[in-house]
Amino acid sequence: MNIYRNKKVAILFMLPALVFVILFIYYPIIQNFIYSLYRWSSFSEVKVFVGFDYYKRLLSDPIFYIALKNNALYAIISIVFQVGVGMILAAVLEEKIMRRYQTFFRTVYFMPSVISITVVGLLFQLVYNPNIGLLNAFLKVVGLETLTHDWLGRSDTAMFAIIATSQWQYIGYIMLLFLVAIQKIPEELYESAMIDGANAIQKFIHVTIPQIKETILVTSIITIIGAFKVFDEVYVMTAGGPGRSTEVLASYMYRAGFRNDEMGYAATIATVIFLITFIVTLIQLKVSKEKNEA
Amino acid sequence: MKINKLLVLLLSVLLVISLTACQSSQPTGGTDQVEIKFLHKWPQPEYSVYFDEVVEAFMKENPNIKVSVEAVGDEPIKDKLRVLMGTDNQPDVFFSWSGEFAAKFVRSNNALDLTPYLENDPEWKNSIMEAGLEPFTYDGNYYGIPFRINGKFFVYNTEIFNKLGLKKPNTWDEFMTVLETLKQNGITPIGFGNIYPWAACHYITGLNQKFVPQEVRVKDYNPKTGEFTDPGYIKALEYFKSLNDKGYFIEGVNSTEHNMSNQMFYGEQVAIIYVELEEFVEVEENLPGKWDFFKMPDIPEGKGNQNFLTGAPDGFLVSAKTKHPEEAVKFLKYLTNKANADKLVQQLGWPSPIIGAVNEGNSPDYLVRGMKAIEEAEGMALWLDTDIHIKISDVYLPNLQELLNGTKTPEQIMAEVQKVAKEVQSEVE
Amino acid sequence: MNKEHNGLSKFIFMFVFLLLITYSVIIIYPLLWMIISGFKTNQELFLEPWGLPAKLLWSNYKSAWDVGVGKFFVNSLFVTSVSVTVTLFISACCAFPLSRYEFKGQNIFLLIIIGGVMLAPQVSLISLYKLLQRLKIYNTYWALIIPYIAFRIPFTTFLIRSYMLSLPREIEDSAYIDGCTSWRLFWNIILPMCKPIMATSALLAAMSVWNEFMFALVFIEDSTLRTIPVGIMNLRSTLSTNWTILLAALTISALPMIILFIVFQKQFVRGITQGGVKG
Repeated sequence: MNIYRNKKVAILFMLPALVFVILFIYYPIIQNFIYSLYRWSSFSEVKVFVGFDYYKRLLSDPIFYIALKNNALYAIISIVFQVGVGMILAAVLEEKIMRRYQTFFRTVYFMPSVISITVVGLLFQLVYNPNIGLLNAFLKVVGLETLTHDWLGRSDTAMFAIIATSQWQYIGYIMLLFLVAIQKIPEELYESAMIDGANAIQKFIHVTIPQIKETILVTSIITIIGAFKVFDEVYVMTAGGPGRSTEVLASYMYRAGFRNDEMGYAATIATVIFLITFIVTLIQLKVSKEKNEA
Repeated sequence: MKINKLLVLLLSVLLVISLTACQSSQPTGGTDQVEIKFLHKWPQPEYSVYFDEVVEAFMKENPNIKVSVEAVGDEPIKDKLRVLMGTDNQPDVFFSWSGEFAAKFVRSNNALDLTPYLENDPEWKNSIMEAGLEPFTYDGNYYGIPFRINGKFFVYNTEIFNKLGLKKPNTWDEFMTVLETLKQNGITPIGFGNIYPWAACHYITGLNQKFVPQEVRVKDYNPKTGEFTDPGYIKALEYFKSLNDKGYFIEGVNSTEHNMSNQMFYGEQVAIIYVELEEFVEVEENLPGKWDFFKMPDIPEGKGNQNFLTGAPDGFLVSAKTKHPEEAVKFLKYLTNKANADKLVQQLGWPSPIIGAVNEGNSPDYLVRGMKAIEEAEGMALWLDTDIHIKISDVYLPNLQELLNGTKTPEQIMAEVQKVAKEVQSEVE
Repeated sequence: MNKEHNGLSKFIFMFVFLLLITYSVIIIYPLLWMIISGFKTNQELFLEPWGLPAKLLWSNYKSAWDVGVGKFFVNSLFVTSVSVTVTLFISACCAFPLSRYEFKGQNIFLLIIIGGVMLAPQVSLISLYKLLQRLKIYNTYWALIIPYIAFRIPFTTFLIRSYMLSLPREIEDSAYIDGCTSWRLFWNIILPMCKPIMATSALLAAMSVWNEFMFALVFIEDSTLRTIPVGIMNLRSTLSTNWTILLAALTISALPMIILFIVFQKQFVRGITQGGVKG
């Protein structure tokens, strides 16, 4: 249709979106990089050019490595549980025998992911509380008193406690993605596997997994990127403590900028977050492209 | 034609957006009315009512001034103030702790020099305790008006103490004996919540002061000359750590909130809590007549003055960027006049630095005795976290949680503090 | 032989079923505990965290609402509805040429718009903070609404565009022959057909805006403008020891999204799967 060849009209239609995206997504990212080259405070006008000093400092900053390690830990555990468990749950719920209960389980499992992280974080702060919390009370009831622990207060468990909360919240979300992917697998593949005498686990390994490879890849990427963006959970539950043991990149950025008033350093950390998430996304694009071409 | 139509639509959308945006950012008010923004740190309804009432009365007396009140809680205000200072939304009158916390606003030219206003009104100046004003000075000038003056005390359950035949300890050794006896009798000695490490920092504030010679400590707390090499700092950490190691604190200190540990004291699950004078009123409400208090015990071997008290005034600064300094000061004067100081004492039970505001006639006995302890002290150890540079405090405080967890030793912590102090020295210049 | 096999699989089924139920309990119980504890007295919560309240204290919910949740709720409602409406309109406008038009550089535009999906809001925190101040909208509703719109556009455009691509073209063709302008073609013909995906996009956008925390924390100062996630965070210091009121506040904050989800489950699922699998 000729009407669809008018470039001016097309651009006019896209203009508002372009303005928003360029002004409030792309421009701030470039600006952020420039900010990272200056020493400046949010409450004075003076900006001192320091070049890449903050990047050098970052590389020798032990807290940066703690944060990086915590983000990585977040990513790894989330892949195991959200992608791994999510996938298995989806496969189980798609078994014929389970299908009539599927709606119920799906609804329940997905529910936490629609709730705000603040609510979940504050709730779990109470659940983990050593004095009034549910978790320790439960352990005592079932006779596992030795396992009771000050979950968020000890450096060795605090990060895991936060990550566990996040798994509680998001396994259902990832599961849902798998559920739909599995539903798209042609029934014949399973039927022929049945004829070959495969049991449920064999079917899962030989039919399901190869068919949902792409979903596995995509969900893994989503989880990794999510893990490097994490902020709310940490801010709400521990504010980075005890000590600095639960600091993640975004919380460290916030702290550097808005508590220690080193905006340039905060911008440097932000640049690192950008690089990591950007590279992971590029890898995803490349891998899925190769797949499509193959 | 069709392009025009689209353009009109787009423009009108953008117009509506920008129009409403402008509207919401420009408050519509009377032309000759002056608006001042007032930021305090007590959003709790039981406290904020005091400010609302004072503000309302002030506005009635001064119909040309509109005071808009904003309240942000204790922990968030530390970030909020820094964020706000970078904006045009600076409040005209804002809360600040004394010491370095206020000095930072002075150095960055965000605080108005109040000296001329105080000099011009000697009556006002003389109505305020010097111990309250002094921590707000910088290079000999006054930058803040104290609103409360606060001391930190150990509050204990008298019933439990009497039952076990325990007395108020005067020295650290006696203190340890008391704690041990409590523990032996199956009572958790001290309720302590350190999820936000300012709580531990209040212990260290007192211990540092008691262990480190005064002039050394003052020099170290000054960002330009801080070194933190005195062995007293390590001692302070060790003494503090031993309270936890010996099991004198509740379980899970690092994930418990201060309020929650107070709650345990009211439920008589613990025998002692370490609280501020302003909290006495809450203690009395929850455990009427069953408590008393004592200062942090003396440490004879310590090189600091043992007659100091941990505590500080806090109060209000006026923004250097305010467009209405006269009105802002006028409001501040009103807030700290004798009548409102009396109201503060009576309504909230908070210790006021206005001379004579706390007296036998209008205040409960415990408040009078607490104020007396402040007056008798030879000096005050200001809260560590507000008395040292933020970057040092940001290393010092989280490490106190590590100390309690046993993941870092006192020596390691002080080494980190020394390192950051050196960095700060070079940056403050 | 066959019988034995059935017995075994029945056992396995029961076992797996039990696991699924246990997991459901792990999910539901904390939420239920939150709702129930919101009805308790503080004392009951401390002494019997498991127990049921002796009396339902509706007053906790009322106190929570009065102490600020009510105000935050209204703010969230306003910010969310404006952000979602504008996002949908702008994204639909943008998706239309991207799915229908043919012009040079189309792919570049597509990349610019949808590429925004990859960029984390965290990275822009500092510079947006400064930018919003320069635009004089810092500490207004617009300080949230505008960044929310910007960061929702890429994904929403992506969703709507995919849907538009899948629509049959016959109706447009006949409308075009009738002499329709491009605007009317979009507004009267294509947009009505996109209703399902619009609903889905609206739900997803609403969910993310309603729950957003970091921008709301930094870009808003006045407590009268705060949205729910930051508001309840501050309530924690406001309420000091009134844990049960806090729990009531948490419940009030979580409920709208839970209800919305249960009612519109189908739309949620569609959006998430379309976006997730292809995004």
